[in-house]
Amino acid sequence: MTCNKTIAVIFLLFTVIDVSCERKQTTQIKDEQDVVQLTYWCASNQDEINLAKELVNEWNAGYPKIQVVLQPVPASQSSEEALLAAIAGKTTPDVWSNMWPGAMDDFTSSGGLVRLDQFPDFIEYMQKRMPGELLESFRSSDSHYYQIPWKTNPIMVMYNKKMFREAGIARPPRTYSEYLVAAEKITKDTNGDGRIDRWMGYRDIRPIWWQRLFDYYPLYIAASGGMTLFNGSEIAFANEASVKVFQFFNELYRHGYYPLTTFQGDAFLAEQVATQFTGPWNVIHVENFKIPGFEYGISPIPVPDDYNGPVYTYGDHKNISIFSTTKYPEAAWQFAKFLISARADLRLLEICSQIPLRKNLTVDSLYRKYFQENPMMMQFAEQALYTRGVDGSSVLKEIFDAISQEYEICAVYNKRTPQEAIANAAKRAQIIIEWNRK
Amino acid sequence: MKKAIIYILLIIGGLMFAYPFLWMISATFKPEVEIGSIGLWSSNFSLHNYAAVFQKIPIGRAFLNSIFVSACVTLSVILFGSIVGYALSRLNFFGRDFLMGVILFTMVIPFQITLIPMYILMVKFGWVDSYMALIVPSMISSFGILLFRQFFMDIPQDLIDAAKIDGCNDLQILFRLIYPLSKPVIITVGIITFMGSWNDVLWPLIVIRLQKLMTLPQLVTIFAVGGQAEGQLGAQLAAATLLAVPIILVYAFFQRYFIESMATTGLKS
Amino acid sequence: MKAGSSAIKINNKTGYLMSLPYIFYFCLFIGFPLIFSFILIFHKWNIVTPMQWVGLRNFYRLFHDVQFFISIRNTLIFLVIHIPLQIIIALFLAVLLNQKIKFKGFFRALYFLPVVVSGVVVTILWQQLFAYETGLLNLLLNKLGITKIPWLTDSRWAMPSIAIMATWKNVGLYIVLFLVGLQSIPHYLYEAAEIDGARSHQQFFHITLPALNNTMVLVMILSTIGGFSLFIEPFVMTGGGPMNSTLSAMLYIYNQAFYFGHMGYAATLGFFFALIILIVVLIQKKIVERKD
Repeated sequence: MTCNKTIAVIFLLFTVIDVSCERKQTTQIKDEQDVVQLTYWCASNQDEINLAKELVNEWNAGYPKIQVVLQPVPASQSSEEALLAAIAGKTTPDVWSNMWPGAMDDFTSSGGLVRLDQFPDFIEYMQKRMPGELLESFRSSDSHYYQIPWKTNPIMVMYNKKMFREAGIARPPRTYSEYLVAAEKITKDTNGDGRIDRWMGYRDIRPIWWQRLFDYYPLYIAASGGMTLFNGSEIAFANEASVKVFQFFNELYRHGYYPLTTFQGDAFLAEQVATQFTGPWNVIHVENFKIPGFEYGISPIPVPDDYNGPVYTYGDHKNISIFSTTKYPEAAWQFAKFLISARADLRLLEICSQIPLRKNLTVDSLYRKYFQENPMMMQFAEQALYTRGVDGSSVLKEIFDAISQEYEICAVYNKRTPQEAIANAAKRAQIIIEWNRK
Repeated sequence: MKKAIIYILLIIGGLMFAYPFLWMISATFKPEVEIGSIGLWSSNFSLHNYAAVFQKIPIGRAFLNSIFVSACVTLSVILFGSIVGYALSRLNFFGRDFLMGVILFTMVIPFQITLIPMYILMVKFGWVDSYMALIVPSMISSFGILLFRQFFMDIPQDLIDAAKIDGCNDLQILFRLIYPLSKPVIITVGIITFMGSWNDVLWPLIVIRLQKLMTLPQLVTIFAVGGQAEGQLGAQLAAATLLAVPIILVYAFFQRYFIESMATTGLKS
Repeated sequence: MKAGSSAIKINNKTGYLMSLPYIFYFCLFIGFPLIFSFILIFHKWNIVTPMQWVGLRNFYRLFHDVQFFISIRNTLIFLVIHIPLQIIIALFLAVLLNQKIKFKGFFRALYFLPVVVSGVVVTILWQQLFAYETGLLNLLLNKLGITKIPWLTDSRWAMPSIAIMATWKNVGLYIVLFLVGLQSIPHYLYEAAEIDGARSHQQFFHITLPALNNTMVLVMILSTIGGFSLFIEPFVMTGGGPMNSTLSAMLYIYNQAFYFGHMGYAATLGFFFALIILIVVLIQKKIVERKD
């Protein structure tokens, strides 16, 4: 009678215990004395995962007392979501190497990050690595450091040399007008089926806020001679430079030089588009997947016709941080130093083709061979000194979202003039800041 | 004549539903540049996309994870759904109708409201990155309870009375008497639950980060939407195909049960 | 409809014991999250910083939030296109299948196929179909000499396109439901009508449709509740564009919560949206009950 009931209950208990046992076993290994275990999260793209695996293996072999476990961040539209979920549940890693400066404000104001200048050798070590004034730009508003500047990816133009040559374009365009003239020569129907199948370039037309980091934002930084969205805590982007950038993209879409579509594969490699705004990480990708006979070059992004001076661009900086949930901040700092050591920087170049923030990168003998073999990367390395990041505002994403929507209406769909669009964007940004006042 | 028209229309309809899948499957065998073409054939068929997928992600492990999780959830939903459904349909107790109302009400709540608090619970229990987080929150289904209740209400009281006279208690009645009579509803709830659990992506995306614990749809989503496919459309489609194939195979075998279970569900609702 | 029994015994103890699993589950996984969400409405919280009391600020903001109301409008547009389309196609195919033909099982299984496949697969697949320049649908149209359709790049086409995709995915289920309903209509009704001289379309409107009323109701309610949670398709395919035309309510709430970190505001939106869903479902119920 009660036998059946008991059996059912016991069966259930077994299942529950069994499943949770699996978890207990793994934690037991962790708790062995003497060995410190750190979790390290790297970005989710394949190259950085490969780099991380190599560096972690090398570290673990050399430091048996400090073992590091690597976990790639699951990708979503932005890895911020995965990180937010982790912070909500205090399941953050010890070391995180995909820290975006734009997220600083949020993390630091909640005490989520370890204050790095508490380590006695931090300042000295960093100053040996990079120029002092660049280091200063990563100081947080409370004048402490919470991020270790690691790498940058300056956005430049990658262009198809063969397509340029065939269209009669002598050199890569420097100004908006030159770019538009080149676009007109490139965009055409090559196989006579009545449909254009070659374009000057392509941008994702979906109004996703971070896409603007690869079109509007770099061109705005260049056109304004190095300004960012904010000046202190005031909105500063409602100016002529922004209007010119919107105007430029508007013309590109209006004339059909950029197609109104979403490509799933890589249009640049398929020679469907002649240029793309991209960073050095793409060099290795292009090298791996290009078809025979594919020639490409790098040039700075275009600027308005009346602009003179050095060309700045967006730097897509990614830094390393240590979360304050760590039980071993000292060990984490040791590991972080290893991640930015000279040899690790070389591997960053070789495996991921991304630029480490290191002074004398282009003249140091350790890297000479690499740059000789990869002249493209030289150009990126030189551009790296003329980059700007994003402001550390906590409403940055929402403001970019507002700009993104105006960009979509004005540039992609031509339903609003650039002046109106920028004015609107500025108004919305103001409201956003208002709504999020403390 | 009329029949011919009917057949033609049905075939056109069938093509519209089947062709996209056929195209997707054939695209996974084509070299990258040929994927844009509308035809199914290519002279350059190869398995390179699948090789890429198997090389980059642990898809076999994810498959096993999905099977394990979905099976546990399904068994649990059937077990508890039938128990509670029995209570609500054959037993009379104070607050029974109120409980029914609560269950109905919960079915209307959009899950987005409860997402974050549920995640925080997972953390507090230490279940993040474990099978517990995937299984326990889905162990009971209001829908399952309702279906069981609906079905049990039609069982003749005499059968139950007879069993009571023989001295059985309620759980015995449930397991010994009612279960054998309930094959349709058990299969229905089982199939619907299994399908739902197998295809769920959002929740695993939030609570599981260790690659070796990811479920199949989660792994494929990350692969296709994230950066690991490196812009290779063929590989993305191959991953999507690998995700679709198991359930299509199961579907092909149990197709009659699938469809009839959905139909009977509809009737009862 | 209670199973008849002359002596209604009160079985409190067993009743509670057997309901215990659910009660336990409810408190933990439904009750607590709901209460927590409700508390969130009056706070500002982005998970990273501590919660901050803001009183009614979220409500004030909601009533001035044009984008939110656009998202609700979009969701309703989706429903208005998707539900009739689904009903018409499902009914049409079900009627066809109900005739005396062979291979019924085969066709039925074929139409049902998209229902079992994961939504992720369907989305990835249809992105290839909908692409403007290189998509299969436009390639096909091109071969037929028709101009390309801006499926996802025109604000008037985008939401209808998503509705088409959603219909394609789900119609198989509704074909099956309609088939069941059709098969339960007694033959003699049709025979009697034939004798009376009624033509087939008259038979359809006067016999078939009324008999399908219950099924119709079920189909409508299921589609409505499903339609309100429209999220993954615009999330993956369009990001809410073009120009906010595919921004569904759930997508907007998700953005507020996970992109911008406005947990409190998202909770407010969520409750408001749940209220709207409730109202729409109640209205549907009223209309349908009146018909009966």
